[in-house]
Amino acid sequence: MKKILVVDDEKNIRELYKEELEEMGYAVTTVSDGVQALLAMGTGKFDLVTLDMRMPDQDGIETLRKMKEKDSTLPVIICTAYEEYKHDFGSWCSDAYVVKSADTGLLRETVKKILG
Amino acid sequence: MKKTTKFFSWTPDPGPRTLHFTMETTEKTELSILSEISRISNSTIGLAEKLRRIVEVIAKGMGKDGASVFLIDRSGKTVTLHAAVGLNQESIGKLSFPIGMGIAGWVAEQKVPLALEEPYADPRFAYVPESGIGSFKSLVAAPVMDEDSCLGVIFVLSSSVWQATSSDITLLTTTANQLSGVIKSARLFKGLQDRLADLASIYEIGMALTSTLDLEQLLSLIAKSTTQSLRAQGCTIRLMNLPEIVSKKTFAYHSIIGEAIRELDARIGPAIADRVAGQSRPLLIQDVSKDGSFNESTSGSVISVPLLFREKVIGVITLYNKQKDGQMFSDEDLQFLTTVASNAAVAVENAAMYERMEDLAIEARTRAQELSILNDIGTAMSTTLNLDRLLRIILTAATMGGSGLGFNRALLLLTNDRTNSLQGMMGVGPANWEEAGRAWGEVSSKHKSLMEWIQTGELFEHRDSALNALARGIRVMLDPAEGVLALTVLNKQPYNVTNAAADPAVPKDFRELLKVNSFATVPLIAKDRVIGVVLVDNMFNQRQITDGDIRFLTMFAHQAALAIENAVIHTNLETMNKDIRSLHEQLVQSEKMAALGAMMAEITHEIRNPLVSIGGFTRRLAKKLQHSEDKKYIDIILSEVSRLEGIIHDNLSYIKEVSLQLADTDVNSLILEILTLYEDELAQRRISVETKLYPVMPLLKIDAPQIKQAVINILKNAMEAMENGGTLSIKTCVLDDTHEAAIEFGDTGPGVTAKTMHNIFNPYYTTKPRGTGLGLPITNRIIKAHKGKIDLKNKETGGAVFTIKLPVSSTK
Ligand SMILES: Nc1ncnc2c1ncn2[C@@H]1O[C@H](COP(=O)(O)OP(=O)(O)OP(=O)(O)O)[C@@H](O)[C@H]1O
Ligand SMILES: [Mg+2]
Repeated sequence: MKKILVVDDEKNIRELYKEELEEMGYAVTTVSDGVQALLAMGTGKFDLVTLDMRMPDQDGIETLRKMKEKDSTLPVIICTAYEEYKHDFGSWCSDAYVVKSADTGLLRETVKKILG
Repeated sequence: MKKTTKFFSWTPDPGPRTLHFTMETTEKTELSILSEISRISNSTIGLAEKLRRIVEVIAKGMGKDGASVFLIDRSGKTVTLHAAVGLNQESIGKLSFPIGMGIAGWVAEQKVPLALEEPYADPRFAYVPESGIGSFKSLVAAPVMDEDSCLGVIFVLSSSVWQATSSDITLLTTTANQLSGVIKSARLFKGLQDRLADLASIYEIGMALTSTLDLEQLLSLIAKSTTQSLRAQGCTIRLMNLPEIVSKKTFAYHSIIGEAIRELDARIGPAIADRVAGQSRPLLIQDVSKDGSFNESTSGSVISVPLLFREKVIGVITLYNKQKDGQMFSDEDLQFLTTVASNAAVAVENAAMYERMEDLAIEARTRAQELSILNDIGTAMSTTLNLDRLLRIILTAATMGGSGLGFNRALLLLTNDRTNSLQGMMGVGPANWEEAGRAWGEVSSKHKSLMEWIQTGELFEHRDSALNALARGIRVMLDPAEGVLALTVLNKQPYNVTNAAADPAVPKDFRELLKVNSFATVPLIAKDRVIGVVLVDNMFNQRQITDGDIRFLTMFAHQAALAIENAVIHTNLETMNKDIRSLHEQLVQSEKMAALGAMMAEITHEIRNPLVSIGGFTRRLAKKLQHSEDKKYIDIILSEVSRLEGIIHDNLSYIKEVSLQLADTDVNSLILEILTLYEDELAQRRISVETKLYPVMPLLKIDAPQIKQAVINILKNAMEAMENGGTLSIKTCVLDDTHEAAIEFGDTGPGVTAKTMHNIFNPYYTTKPRGTGLGLPITNRIIKAHKGKIDLKNKETGGAVFTIKLPVSSTK
């Protein structure tokens, strides 16, 4: 079973994504900030990360950079409420950019595309 | 001398013997003769008559049949018969002998009496048969002495052989002495009379000379009076070295007997004047034919005198021919003329001076008047910095009589540096004769000054004259080949066109446009730069435009140019000011927008997350619920959530920085793509679509998704505008002049209201209950990012037309 790490500072969203992705048959671990996300990466192996951009203690972009330093092959989906950085996501080395929406269809599709 | 005994030579040595002898024989005769002579000499008859009577008395008194008087001429070289009895009267004035020749000449030279009993045998005797001397046998002659000089010779002639006694001789000598007195007093009297006449003439001429300061008249007077006084046939006066103003009239001519003198003067006058002026000395040529310097066939007598003022020759006066045939000018004549000339010179100089002063005074007066007019115009011009008003003031000043320049019509053109051309700006003046008559009538009845016209605002009232339209229609490239208008600018000089038809610098169509054959142009020069041209003409009163007019016009143009320059600078400053203000406003606006954008980004972020939770869980809930009733509520929640998300999306896409991903795109297919996308909706709304797509549309370097967004926003608005269906027409083309690709959207809706028109591109402006008012602002931003434009207008048949224009060679 493929393992997904969901990083988001908002509890409800972690919950929502966890339920939706588990329903799709993935093992989902959730953390609430970048530091914990990096710690989690140290203890377990993940196939995919969904990463919120703005979190309390560490900026999502900073977290993304460190994650890629650790494992450059790990796919990371930026999952954010900000629309305006969409064009730049490539330069941040993420693999996809999904604007958060009540309709999780786009997220699910993207995950499916990456993990197969 | 005492050659023979046949003649008796007597020396004036009156001894007592002789006297005694005389007293004895002729005392009575002598007394009667002498008393008779003194009676004659005291009478008032002329000298010739006196001499005639005296010789009569002598002949009779001495009992002889002949007597005569010869007088030495003025030249002193000849003796001439002046009176005679017993001789041929024809010889009087003609019979003359050189001094020393003939008996008369011998006696005149020797100054001694001579008695010849047989004169024909005497070698000194010169026989002149015509005189009638042949009828006499013997003679006695005595010199007429005045002190030591001889005045003439008196003869007593006897037709019978007469051996004169010493008392005869004494008697004759005494008579001669008395005659001397007669002659002398007569001559004195004549001299006095001549002198008086001269003085009178000189006085008269002098009076005449001071009677006028008109040079022309003066010269004619001098010529006339000298001609009369000297009894000449004619006179010319040539002036030289006079001030420029009068030099045009350097020749005055007066002739009593007309053409004869005119011709003679034409032949020899200039040369004589040159000679006299060159030598600065009077000249007497008694007989021109003998002078040598002239053609021998030229005959006449000439005196010529320089007119000297302060040793400077200011002219030459020349008199021709005595009126009396054969008579020639004398030294006395020359003397007289010299006296007259010295007076005349002063008078001429005075008149010339006066004339110049007069000219200067007139000039000064005109200048002063012009300056005062210019000053008034300057004041008028300073009342405004508005270019349009200023041009009107300038042209009105050029066409106003009295306080203006008084031309009939005036046009003003300004140069355009960008297009290198001259553009007509304004024309002032009547359009036709009727209007001209009316306008002048009005002006003269009102008598208003330029300032009054400005102050009452009347000046700016009627503007749409035919001439104004004509002026505005003139546009000339600044190329010498374009003719006089272009030349005025290029050569920076005025042109006074007096015959446009014959002037190669006036194009035919321009002449026909102006409808005049003469006009003038002057450049408007401000700070060495030609900023325009003023053209004036006198179409209606046909007054010729003079050099003076041009000079005045040039001064005026200089002033006008500065005023125009000021107004233009002022206008530029004003627009610059406006630009700065609007830039500033834009800046404030964009700063506001940036701040707003940042805030919005935060808010949307904060809102989006809860929306994701609400919507996400609702969806999850929906999956678990089976009842359709409950599903309805869930659907409501979900649709509202998605509407909120839509609002947030729109907001963000308005705020976010547009960055373009440019790629060659065919806009025609882009449009067709969008139409396919909205096919169903259009049909539903009963909107038909008409497309006119430019078949050879070039590929445009654009960000296709963004342009699609921009087009969709317009399309949506059009659909929303046509509530009850209609026609959407879409057209593409390439604009030739600006080289832009254009996409035009026309609808058959109500069109855009005036109020909406002003706000349509403002964010959040909407007239729709559920609109965001961000559709067109987003479109506008996208198009602007592509360096394009978006235009909007209403069709006359109703409905709005939006046109997107994009640069064809847009490579970012
Ligand atoms: N084709 C049109 N005919 C008439 N009025 C128009 C047309 N297009 C736009 N408008 C007017 O311009 C306003 C602004 O349009 P804009 O697209 O910016 O916002 P909106 O259409 O009101 O809102 P939204 O685009 O978010 O639905 C509209 O509300 C409407 O009043
Ligand atoms: Mg709209």
